[in-house]
Amino acid sequence: MTMGPRKSPVENLFSKKRKQCPFVAAGMHHIDYKDIETLSRFITERGKILPRRITGVSFNNQRKLCSAIKKARHMALLPFVSEE
Amino acid sequence: MAKKERTHLYEGMYIFSASLSDDARQKALDKVTAGITKRGGEVLKTFDQGRKKLAYEINTKRDGHYILLYFSVSSSAMTEMWREYHLNEDLIRFLTLRVEKVPEKIEFQPLSA
Repeated sequence: MTMGPRKSPVENLFSKKRKQCPFVAAGMHHIDYKDIETLSRFITERGKILPRRITGVSFNNQRKLCSAIKKARHMALLPFVSEE
Repeated sequence: MAKKERTHLYEGMYIFSASLSDDARQKALDKVTAGITKRGGEVLKTFDQGRKKLAYEINTKRDGHYILLYFSVSSSAMTEMWREYHLNEDLIRFLTLRVEKVPEKIEFQPLSA
């Protein structure tokens, strides 16, 4: 019986494909606080900022995204806490 | 001789009270633009973003009229203007940021899913 090259089960379990940052993929260089449609994709229903381990945003873009969301919150474009 | 201060380009977003009439709002906006021009600044562009619902209540107000200004002033004038804004009762909120250039229009490309 011939056996092809086999990956060890441990490698299969943990070799997840890395997500690409959605901002890099879209070629966006600037994250604007006025762009509510985009920002609201990165917050929960309650209004919390999603961690980048879930969204796949790169480290640098996550920092820009955070400050954009906080500016939008200050201008009452996004909620600090959403009640529903 | 006093040295002329360098001016910078700013973006200012202002929320005016939605309870103001059109005339009163225009007057309040004129007050803001006058504050810029009298300090040697220049208003380059104005975007009226209209009446919007606030994401949360501010001083028992639920709606606001959003106006976006692009202007250039010196940074020392900016601190004076902030003090003025805090005393302005028609102005619910404001945010001023340094920007690189004035956009032609306010629109954003959607992120592809």
